[in-house]
Amino acid sequence: MFISGIGIVFTRGRGIDSFEKALKEGWREPSAGELVPAYRVDQETLTDASLSKKIRRADRFSKMAVLSAVDAYRDSGITVNERNKIGIILATAFGPHSTTFSFIDDILDYGDASVSPTKFSNSVHNAAASYVSSILESRGPTITLTHFKFAFQNALILADSWISEGRCDHVLCGCTEELGTVMEYACNMKLNIAKDGKINPFAFSDSPVSVPGEGSVFIMLSKEKGGNNYGKVAEVSFSQNIAGNPDLFVIDADGMNGDETGYKEIINHGAAIAGYSPLFGSIPTGSAFNFAAAALMLKNQIAYNCVFQDNPFVVKLGVLTSKKDLNEIYCIKICKPEIKTIVKLKK
Amino acid sequence: MEESKEQYLAETRKLLKELLVENLSLEDIRPEDIKDDEILFGEGLGLDSLDAVEIVVLLQRNFGLEVKDMKQGREIFYSIDTLARYVCENKKTI
Amino acid sequence: MKAVISGTGIISAAGFNLEQNLGSLKVGKRNAGPVSVFSTILPYPVFEVKSLPGISGKEEMRTRSLTFAALKEALENAGLQAPLTGFRAGVCLGTTVASQLNDISFYTEFRKSGSADLKPVDLFLKGNLAESVACSLNASGPAITVVNACSSGTDAIGMALSWLKSGLCDIAIAGGADELNRVPLCGFGSLGILSGSLCAPFDKNRAGLNLGEGAGILILEREDFYIKRGGKPSLYLSGYGSYADAYHLTAPRPDGTGLESAIRKALSDAGVLPEDVCFVNAHGTGTLDNDRVEGAVLERIFGSKIKFLSTKGYTGHTLGGAGGIEAVYTAAALKEGWIPANAGFECRDNEIPITPVTENTGIKGSFALSTSLAFGGNNSAIVIEKRR
Repeated sequence: MFISGIGIVFTRGRGIDSFEKALKEGWREPSAGELVPAYRVDQETLTDASLSKKIRRADRFSKMAVLSAVDAYRDSGITVNERNKIGIILATAFGPHSTTFSFIDDILDYGDASVSPTKFSNSVHNAAASYVSSILESRGPTITLTHFKFAFQNALILADSWISEGRCDHVLCGCTEELGTVMEYACNMKLNIAKDGKINPFAFSDSPVSVPGEGSVFIMLSKEKGGNNYGKVAEVSFSQNIAGNPDLFVIDADGMNGDETGYKEIINHGAAIAGYSPLFGSIPTGSAFNFAAAALMLKNQIAYNCVFQDNPFVVKLGVLTSKKDLNEIYCIKICKPEIKTIVKLKK
Repeated sequence: MEESKEQYLAETRKLLKELLVENLSLEDIRPEDIKDDEILFGEGLGLDSLDAVEIVVLLQRNFGLEVKDMKQGREIFYSIDTLARYVCENKKTI
Repeated sequence: MKAVISGTGIISAAGFNLEQNLGSLKVGKRNAGPVSVFSTILPYPVFEVKSLPGISGKEEMRTRSLTFAALKEALENAGLQAPLTGFRAGVCLGTTVASQLNDISFYTEFRKSGSADLKPVDLFLKGNLAESVACSLNASGPAITVVNACSSGTDAIGMALSWLKSGLCDIAIAGGADELNRVPLCGFGSLGILSGSLCAPFDKNRAGLNLGEGAGILILEREDFYIKRGGKPSLYLSGYGSYADAYHLTAPRPDGTGLESAIRKALSDAGVLPEDVCFVNAHGTGTLDNDRVEGAVLERIFGSKIKFLSTKGYTGHTLGGAGGIEAVYTAAALKEGWIPANAGFECRDNEIPITPVTENTGIKGSFALSTSLAFGGNNSAIVIEKRR
């Protein structure tokens, strides 16, 4: 599958350009919160005059999904005339949970018979994908998947099936996660929150620190090479063995999934290691953001600086953003006990 | 008496415009820009079936009114004016 | 490539297993009534699974219990035993409720004091339906939960078929499940599409849907794998199609073109023509919009003589479970050679050009179709095949 376009909405704004800017600029402090520091998406980022009528009812979750999906499509520069050849896969760990709680507010405040049907409609997991499909007028298969750890990887596998089975020529494959008061409370209680606001991807700790984040990434995957030409997805696997010789590993270490000692095995492979979660936060579907970084690196032939140099295992890290000959990047996520996903990107 | 009935109707129209803009997230529209005889569905404000059921809840919560039958709803929801008249004629004191 | 259906399992208001379900369908038994699994002022009848065996109350999510009940039957039916260690087995299940953190007591406590006992959150984090089933079976293949509203079960089955085709696994546990829950009951009520009486799919006087709960599971296998382990294939999952309306968040596209595309794709996937289909298990929720659109599309594709029915008159609309339950019914009907009457239908609606079967009807033929139309506009269909 070829990566023809990318769209992103995250703490530092909207669009692949803003993500690239963040990769170049490096770490920024998260915003303080009542309970936890977090990388939140500003309300302004979710304003778009050209789409406001169409997404007037959409909640934050759906808005993040729509803006990043529309941007991915536009970023590709491709005009797909056969609308039933565009598929949409939205993968999420927690879905629009804020809206669910807002709906429960209605139940508690107004009673079972006086609740808002719009809130309910927005609270179903697949509402966001429905908005995306309406706005893009895409009539191909449209599905929402949920998995706490490997939603993105499963979405890529499905996108590949749809394209190779001829169901679609293009798939907008994305991940969306939101924060809200309940989620921040749960994060505070269950995660090891970094008091200094700094995620440490290379500490490979059994109790890693995290800084919750939210946002959405959509990748336009195409049957043929073209569009904005970021590279291709050569393989997606759940495998015990990391075989091959990539130029770079990008790891999803962000403190969200507990024990990260499993990443140590990558050190032995010899290639440089990167991981960009300190820029966007600890997000269950953070893999999608790291994937976007990898795709950008392949396109631009630049290895971006890793934001944290805390490197107790003396891992080979990129220390400066620099031009680099990059042919193959592996995106790795390891969750104990020993589930590994490997996404291989090629130039 | 007639004057106060007219005034009440006018106030209800104003309130309804504000409620609609807020509850239906009509972001680009200001309540004062909505005409009294503005058609709600199709043309005019361009509301749809989901807005219709949202208005049903709005009437329940703000005026204690039930719209049991959506066919009846179609007549009541025709315009700001018909909606306001319905409210004035049927409003329960909460 | 077609996948073998080596086993099926089902639990619904119509019965705890397939035999009980078919028994209820045969005599037209409709086990609906007021909800008892939670308190509500809403008066709508629901199709509840009463006295769910093995449920341990607050220790595990109800949807999970329903899933495991159907799974047990399906595995036995397929001649398999848990755990599935050593098999490359995938799990693809659809749901809506089980994917939501919607525990009302938890949230009530939280909003009052800014803190709450996290037990419901812990249960939720262990409760991703496919993940937890895969874990309990020690299944080492892919596992994912599909949350595509009313077409989740059908889409999960379609996704599992893709996995088997691409060799990602040799066995796939596919289907869907959902429990009755206060949140969707309130939600669907607010949309004005719940009926105050028993649902009447395709009937002129239909007044909406009834919610239900249950689970329906297919065990799907690559044919070479199934034969190698001694199986004699007779039922197949032969085709899958899915297309979006791109129209509206809650209403189906009036011209039904999304559904039509999905059905035609499923048929072409299976290599069959409309005339080869001996019956259709329709989505048939009993709402004005769904039945009107779906009825028109079925007539357009299959002609006015097509035998079709909705089984939701026996199970209610089980949301994420519907696609799984209806796939099981479709497979059983092909195997047993009959379809039940469309419960609730009495009077023809002139806006719908065809009428469902009104009595138990014998069927002869090899291919059947099951359709699902989702909230949010996705339309999905599967073709099931019986070979002698």
